[in-house]
Amino acid sequence: MTVAASHTFFEDTKLNDLVTSPAMTLSLYSGITGDVAVEPGAVAELLPLCLSIGLGWRVPQPPLAVLAFMSMDYQIVRPLRVGDTVYGTSRVVSRRTMREGGIVIEDHEIINQRGEVAQRGRFTFLVARRPA
Amino acid sequence: MLSYADMTPSGRRYFEEIEVGEEFESPGRTVTETDIVLFAGLSGDYNVLHTDAEFMKKSIFGERIAHGLLGLTIQSGLFYRTGRVFATLAFVGLKWKFKGPIKIGDTIRLRTRVASKRETSKADRGLVVVERTVVNQRDEVVQEGETELLVERRPA
Repeated sequence: MTVAASHTFFEDTKLNDLVTSPAMTLSLYSGITGDVAVEPGAVAELLPLCLSIGLGWRVPQPPLAVLAFMSMDYQIVRPLRVGDTVYGTSRVVSRRTMREGGIVIEDHEIINQRGEVAQRGRFTFLVARRPA
Repeated sequence: MLSYADMTPSGRRYFEEIEVGEEFESPGRTVTETDIVLFAGLSGDYNVLHTDAEFMKKSIFGERIAHGLLGLTIQSGLFYRTGRVFATLAFVGLKWKFKGPIKIGDTIRLRTRVASKRETSKADRGLVVVERTVVNQRDEVVQEGETELLVERRPA
């Protein structure tokens, strides 16, 4: 399988590379999950996680050529509320060549406007090789 | 046996009423193309895996697939369709594996089992670990993992 140009391929990833995303202010959201809001102004815990993946597409480097999102281990460190402004960071902590491409493990953090870590996790992706 | 004393005024179940080993299977939910398009818009994740039908014809999946996090998000909603929801204070973390693709038109459901629970240093809450399996209409596991929830304890 090949992925169109303008992607970050496995060969382009570098250990310890830190990428910082632009920030985004959280607003109300409902409907997608059918989840129950616990209190007014509370942000569903999975929303910042979902948004952060998209924020990762708004960094100067092209998006990772993900063939498959394999696993994650994620912690909610402190609650976020509507009106909080968050950004994300991502660091490559491991990369391993596979037959099909490579496994890239990244540590992500979501940081609020006071510089506090609100959420963090470790993500494992199967990433395509640069097409020959 | 479920009694009203075990529930919050809004019908949510306190920590004391949740039993280790209890199981639940949710209703199904069909994942549509619209779900995927909306989720791309919400998240900003426009990866070709989810948005380029022509490109995906040549991929190992043969067609567009749902974002892994869309599946995770939908199962979190299915968990609240038990009719016997937990008095959840906070979702504190998860370990999760994406085992297979969710394709347009697939119907997924959630199976859960309460793996363990324990009291915390704070008297008003306890920690509940829930094992979760997301299966499709062929009973193939597409996602699985465990989540940790902080749940209210019954007021003294």
